[in-house]
Amino acid sequence: MPAANKSANKLMPGNFMVIWQILLGVAFLGAWQALVDAGKLDKFFFSRPSDIAARVVQWLRTGFIWPHLAVTLEEAALAFVLGASAGVALGFGLARAPRLGALLDPYIKVMNALPRVVLAPIFLLWFGLGIWSKVALGVTVVFFIVFFNTHRGVRDVDPVVVNNARMLGASEWQLARHVLFPSALTWVFSSLNISIGFAMIAVVVGEYLGAARGVGYLISQAEGTFDTTGVFAGMAVLSAAVLLVGWGVGRLERWLLRWKV
Amino acid sequence: MPSTAALQFENVTQRFGGYTAIENIDFEARAGAFVSVVGPSGCGKSTLLNLAAGLIEPGDGRVSVFGERLSGINRKASYMFQQDGLLPWKTAIGNIELGLRFRGVEAREAAARSREWAARVGLAGFAEAYPAQLSGGMRKRVAMAQSWIVDPDILLMDEPFSALDVHTRLRMEAELLALWASSKSKTILFVTHDLEEAIALADEVVVLSSGPASRVVNRYTVELARPRDLIDIRTDPRFHELYRQIWSELRKEVLASYARGE
Repeated sequence: MPAANKSANKLMPGNFMVIWQILLGVAFLGAWQALVDAGKLDKFFFSRPSDIAARVVQWLRTGFIWPHLAVTLEEAALAFVLGASAGVALGFGLARAPRLGALLDPYIKVMNALPRVVLAPIFLLWFGLGIWSKVALGVTVVFFIVFFNTHRGVRDVDPVVVNNARMLGASEWQLARHVLFPSALTWVFSSLNISIGFAMIAVVVGEYLGAARGVGYLISQAEGTFDTTGVFAGMAVLSAAVLLVGWGVGRLERWLLRWKV
Repeated sequence: MPSTAALQFENVTQRFGGYTAIENIDFEARAGAFVSVVGPSGCGKSTLLNLAAGLIEPGDGRVSVFGERLSGINRKASYMFQQDGLLPWKTAIGNIELGLRFRGVEAREAAARSREWAARVGLAGFAEAYPAQLSGGMRKRVAMAQSWIVDPDILLMDEPFSALDVHTRLRMEAELLALWASSKSKTILFVTHDLEEAIALADEVVVLSSGPASRVVNRYTVELARPRDLIDIRTDPRFHELYRQIWSELRKEVLASYARGE
């Protein structure tokens, strides 16, 4: 960490960097605002930062946004938990049964190659307009990330560590529980941020394509009424939520992998 | 005194594919003895230990432990690997207690005994540290406590100190001898490529020929008094005499392995 600080200091003292970062943002938003006010950008297509901010504030003050945000987060969380559980279970199982793993390998690759968006309509048919069609879409994304990481985590365990545990008297079950499983989990933990980020994207896409609630639904509704301010406000809320979740997940990840130093 | 062999190799041959690692290995380690095995690199020393550990089954011949043919993991032995096999997500004491936990010792007791062992190998202040936070020497101490806590009859050690600097290494060797002296009748099979280390520690030095198809070239009894001072022993004339004697043999094998381009 000290080394990283030093190299950052060489570029620019830390505090100054933050100031420049803020200035850049302000300049961008200011230019946007000024261009719309001057009539150089069409307000109908680009809205205005001040209008967008006012809309977000209004959503927060009336509490209008919360149920939608809650639905989106709930779907993403469910997608993550279900997808990750299935991914860990199957990744672990196939790594321990390499013959079965080899048999299924091409099919898993084919399924992973499929762009998930095309599944959204079929999931809408199967699971309806409620949260489960979005959860299903999120699961298909999270599952593969976690599956591949688990698979790799189990197979990449240092053979010395495995032999050491065996010599210390570990049974097959103890070996799985104390050595292989934790090793796989370290891979899953280090991909937490990616999997949860992708889960958010997937459920929002799902909402966008057909839902009665959620931030993705809000955006698609605003779009349907040519309410660009609403679209941008929805995007702002979504980015903020993803950033906040990412920050929390980052802290969790650092805590779970604290032994890596 | 009729000495039972703790470990016995009878005509053991091991091939990996078309490669013969060791051929017709025949020797035994008397119960309670400290036996060093030396040989040039690539002479199948690790294969020998893996056979004694039961991690691999002998292709030909037989490995016996206290007179019984070994099949499967050798439950009477601990194995200290060249690189330690510590679990990175467990603390020092979490690693030390593993063997006890695997044997079904209750968590609180295992932790208490693990703490005792941490103190015993000089890790008292580092009980809660993760392996990544420990120096190479300290990790070796964890590995040492890990293999001793289960009170094995046989200890297999594969160049355990080869990666350490000279001073740390001397200290660890001395601590190993102290542990061994304080425990009654543990048998140690210690593989090394360092002849000085082999003589200084052992009761008996087994010299292997260069690979492939290594065999036992000769065995030497080390009759130096114990307890030994590992610093002074290197200036003992008898140590030198023995060193010269074994080296004259080992030298040929080392040159042979050079000739094969290793």
